[in-house]
Parts: sequence; structure tokens; C-alpha cells
Amino acid sequence: MRAGFGVEKRSTLSWLWQAATGVLLLPLLALHIIANHFVVTGGERNFAEVASYLGNPVIKVLEVLFLVVVTSHAMLGVRSILFDMGVPRRSRPAVSWAVTALGVVTVAYGIWLTITISR
Amino acid sequence: MAEEMASGRRRPTRWLDLRGRHEGAWAYALNRLTGIGLVAYLYVHLGVLSLLAHGPSTWNSFLATSKAPFFTALDALVLLGVLFHSLNGIRLGLTGVGAAVRWHQLLLRSLMALAVVLFLVAGLLWSIRG
Repeated sequence: MRAGFGVEKRSTLSWLWQAATGVLLLPLLALHIIANHFVVTGGERNFAEVASYLGNPVIKVLEVLFLVVVTSHAMLGVRSILFDMGVPRRSRPAVSWAVTALGVVTVAYGIWLTITISR
Repeated sequence: MAEEMASGRRRPTRWLDLRGRHEGAWAYALNRLTGIGLVAYLYVHLGVLSLLAHGPSTWNSFLATSKAPFFTALDALVLLGVLFHSLNGIRLGLTGVGAAVRWHQLLLRSLMALAVVLFLVAGLLWSIRG
């Protein structure tokens, strides 16, 4: 019974985190799309424009925050779909660890790329 | 379905079986499909952005390629997926916390109408910007 309650509590927390990252994504994604594709002549920034854009510390923080939030939202979504597709209960912790590891690698790569470009 | 319940096993893709289901189920399935597509796009996008690490000439020559109609069509598809997923996500969030449950159908239709309007506005801005 206690284990059942724990599973339910974790799944509620996952849902809340999924919803919270979804809410945060609305302004962050809008900023990312508008700033990188709609206010730029030709729809894409050239190399110098990307470097200059990411050189702004506020933008850098917002873009990294966007990366963390979008990756969290994506990994929680993938995990939720996998669970719903019938991953056995005993394998679920391994799946959670795998998607968390993928998310951490994704964010680490994105941060490395951001720093490399803006250097 | 009854057979699945009797055996205690669920088909992994049962959420994709929309025969005789209401529009909320369609929106749910489409939300998952757009979610899977957007996760795939996240990694394609990171792959494309990795060209920036190779320096200005690599990135700037990629920009010339990205103006091809195929990439513009792909961008439009991604934007459509983003608009559907985010606006339907607002509906799922609201109904998930018990708000607007009675009006979920009206909410879905209104948000989808907003998605179409935003998509058309984005297309207009895209073409004006050149």
C-alpha cells in the first residue's frame, strides 16, 4: 500500500513538473522563435549575429534556461509515453535513469555549444 | 478493448486507436504525436546548431542551403506542431487541475482556432521579412 502511494505521489509530481515546465516554455519558446527567426532579416542569424546575440549575458542565461526547461519537458514526455506503452513496473526506474541521463547529456552539450559559439 | 481488459494486458499503441472516440481523444493522440515529433526536432536542431562550432564559413554556407523550399516547408510543419502542442497543452493543464472541465470542448476548438490565426500571422510576418 505504501509503495502504491509512493508511485502515485511520484507520478503526480511528474505531472506537476511537466505542467510547470510547459508553462515556463510558453514565454521562453516565444522569445527563442521571435528573436532568432522573426526579427532577423532573412529569418536566420549569420555567424557574427549569433555570436553577438549569445554574447549578451541576459540572453545567454535565458537561452540556457530555455534549453534546460525544454529538455526537462521533453524527457518527462518521453518517459510518460514509454510508461503508458506498457514498460513493466520493475523496469521503470531504469527507464527514468536513462531519460534523465539523456537529458543531462543534452543540456551539457547545449551549454558547451553556447559557450563555444559566444567565446 | 474488452479482451485487453480481461487479459490485464494493454496494447502499447492503444492511445492511437481512435475508432469511435471523441475529439478529446484525437487531441490527446495528436498531442503525443506532435510531442514525439518535437523531441526528434530538438535533436535535429541541436545537430544543425553544432555547425556553428565549426566556424563562420560552415554556418554561413548552411544558411544558403536552408533557404530551399523543403526547409521552409519543414519549418512551417514544426511551427504548426509547436502551436498545436503548446495551445492544446494549456487545455490539458487547465483540465488536469480541474479547471474548465465542462468547457473543454469549446476550449479545444477556441485554442485550435487561435493556433490557425497565429500560424497565418507567422506566415505573413515570415513572407514580409523576406
